[in-house]
Amino acid sequence: MSRVATERSLDRLEPGERGVILRLDGDHGAVRRLMELGLVPGTRVEVLRRAPLGDPIELRLRDVHLSLRRSEAAFIHVEDV
Amino acid sequence: MSRTSEEAGRPALTLADPPPVVTTEGPSARPRRIAILGNPNAGKSTLFNQLTGLRQKVGNYPGVTVEKKTGTCEMPSGRRVEVIDLPGTYSLHPHSPDEVIVRDVLLGLQPGTPPPDLIVFVVDATHLSRHLYLALQVIDIGRPVILALNMMDAAEAQGLKIDERALEQQLGVPVVGISAARGTGLGHLRRLMDRDVEPSTQKFRRWPPHLERVLHHLESRLPRHPDLPERGRLDLALALLLDDGEDDALARSAPPEVLDDLGIVRRRLDAVSPGWRADEVEGRYEAIHGVLERAAIPAEARRDPVRERVDRVLTHRVWGVVIFVLLMGAVFQSVFSWAAPAMDAIDALVKNFGVLVEGLMPAGPVRSLIVDGIIAGVGTTLIFLPQIAVLFFFICVLEDSGYMARAAFIMDRLMGKVGLSGRAFIPLLSSFACAIPGIMATRTIDNRRDRITTIMIAPFMSCSARLPVYALLIGAFIPNKWIGFVTLPALTLFSMYLLGIGAAIAVAWVLKRSVLKGGRPLYVMELPPYRMPSPRSVALAVRDRSLLFLRKAGTVILAVSMVLWFLASYPRGGREVHALQARVTAAEQAGDTAARDALSSQVAGVSLRNSFAGRIGRFIEPAIEPLGFDWRIGIGLITSFAAREVMVSTMATVFNLGSGDDDIVSLRQTLRDAVDPDTGLHAYSPLIGVSLMVFFVLACQCMSTVAVVKRETNSWRWALFMVVMMNVLAWLASFAVFQGGRLMGFA
Repeated sequence: MSRVATERSLDRLEPGERGVILRLDGDHGAVRRLMELGLVPGTRVEVLRRAPLGDPIELRLRDVHLSLRRSEAAFIHVEDV
Repeated sequence: MSRTSEEAGRPALTLADPPPVVTTEGPSARPRRIAILGNPNAGKSTLFNQLTGLRQKVGNYPGVTVEKKTGTCEMPSGRRVEVIDLPGTYSLHPHSPDEVIVRDVLLGLQPGTPPPDLIVFVVDATHLSRHLYLALQVIDIGRPVILALNMMDAAEAQGLKIDERALEQQLGVPVVGISAARGTGLGHLRRLMDRDVEPSTQKFRRWPPHLERVLHHLESRLPRHPDLPERGRLDLALALLLDDGEDDALARSAPPEVLDDLGIVRRRLDAVSPGWRADEVEGRYEAIHGVLERAAIPAEARRDPVRERVDRVLTHRVWGVVIFVLLMGAVFQSVFSWAAPAMDAIDALVKNFGVLVEGLMPAGPVRSLIVDGIIAGVGTTLIFLPQIAVLFFFICVLEDSGYMARAAFIMDRLMGKVGLSGRAFIPLLSSFACAIPGIMATRTIDNRRDRITTIMIAPFMSCSARLPVYALLIGAFIPNKWIGFVTLPALTLFSMYLLGIGAAIAVAWVLKRSVLKGGRPLYVMELPPYRMPSPRSVALAVRDRSLLFLRKAGTVILAVSMVLWFLASYPRGGREVHALQARVTAAEQAGDTAARDALSSQVAGVSLRNSFAGRIGRFIEPAIEPLGFDWRIGIGLITSFAAREVMVSTMATVFNLGSGDDDIVSLRQTLRDAVDPDTGLHAYSPLIGVSLMVFFVLACQCMSTVAVVKRETNSWRWALFMVVMMNVLAWLASFAVFQGGRLMGFA
């Protein structure tokens, strides 16, 4: 499979799926803050669950758990592992 | 302690053996200043409480509602040091007012808070990879740092082994393992805090050449500053480059010509490398990986099976919601019922105190001012204190245990529909008990626009002070009929609550699309591990909130109470009152107590009607007539600014009923029977009752709320905006109800 085919935005991952961060799009300030919280390219992320109403989602990366709205997760591109 | 590894020979560290530096300063020298810093949830505050105990005070940084906590602590050498608990922060380059403060303190720019002599950097040992990010930023500035590895007990329980000495070697700063909650390792930490610690000689900045060139050039144009180490000037340069150019302490620190050039520099960087703003972050995480790898610490945590099991239930699609609703119901109910005995006690205490003072002082205007104005006015505010204490007890337990983040996770979608975050839920829920603790609870919302929106809509939640008014009016005007499986009074009461919620949603929607519109805030939030809350921290938090409320709201409320007292008491006397008073004396002498009481009530009624409040009531009558209110209700609207339930006692006085507590039934009857002196018809109808209730749902009639809004937003502008917005809305809604009802033939 080509690289492009395995690239998805993080909000497309189902609970239980994992990926490695490729890049982040969007507003400078937001990208910087997301990266400061550990979402740097090359980091392995797992989507753990969605909130009872479907949004936000819970992520596990490094040694922390973060919750992100799906609209924000859409700016984070991951590659399947 | 006796760590054998505290051997000499490591450059830059004076850990080896130098004796504690016992005051080289004279007695007048200022105490050593030690700052506690770290990520949110690192256990900073627990450590701060452990170190300072009750020797702490809470204030605000000038111009912002960021809490400034300072305390003193005695070192093993016997000298006292000043400890400051800086707000929890993720990065030196800020995203919120709290973080701006931390940046400014660390860069030596914060007015009134000189940079610390030593920083105790608290990290959660189980979250080392993320928490080292800020730690490395701070070490790079070149200030002396001690790294406190907190929650070592949790790390050990997870099987995570951390070689403190290896980490020390990598970072170039002293490292000490502690558990702030259990109090372990604190002796060692105190001994380290007593010594002179040298800044690390290691550097953890990794950035690409194009950025490095720009930063060095910028640095060379910045003036030298005694409060910033030489190494930190690069961080100041980066901070300037990343700052969005608001007029803040940072911008004032740089020469104007440098500020002017920043825009050009940014554009040039944008052209070379659009992602330059994040270059520092990526480089620093590389550095973290290097440090962890060399210190043989895993960068990724193992799964925590307990946490996962708990989370599976607490955030479950069904059970998560059920538990959330039950918990919130319990909190809400407790704020109502746990606080009730204490509120009754305070109420009785205030009344007895009033009676006591009344007995001690000669009758006259001064006694009246003190008893009816100050004691009664401040007393009605003191009554809220138990609710504040109970609510903050729960908030603190929920927050410290980690549940609050899950509650926000569950509610975010729903609150997001009106443009708010999940964090707004608890403040709004508490506002059903009382808006004051609710507004104070908005401090957990980090986005400023969200926080102000939440503050603006919190008073729409029907608080417990509105209940007596609803009870009076529903009892007087709403027939006790069954409609399906509910009674009409119950349905009316429920509708009033719904109306408040509806208004809140509408106002939030409008505010977020107009005045408080702004770039999409980031809602990313950390879901911390579950932890046992420390009773000490909870107790201190409850104490802080209570004191804050008493101290700050008390001043404004005191002043307003005096004004309201004056309006309701002056001008005194008049021919009518004197004549009545003569009859009271006559009845007294005749021993006719019934006649005396009836006449005394009449004196009170006539006095109030003739007072400034009465005149204002009459003066505003034309404005409230379209809502169906007469001047007597007008007086009630004015006095209820002291507290909404004062409406009930005011109406009793206006109708000469005396001020007994058990007369709500007779007051209901009186309202039903009240006659309009001009027409001879019934003065009030059910329609007017509903219109008045709607007014009470929406109007801002509580001076304590206004005072707290002023305090929490740090501006009279928002407090004023709220008063005007709510009262205009109330007027329009009551107008619609009354006129609409009349058109439909309900009058």
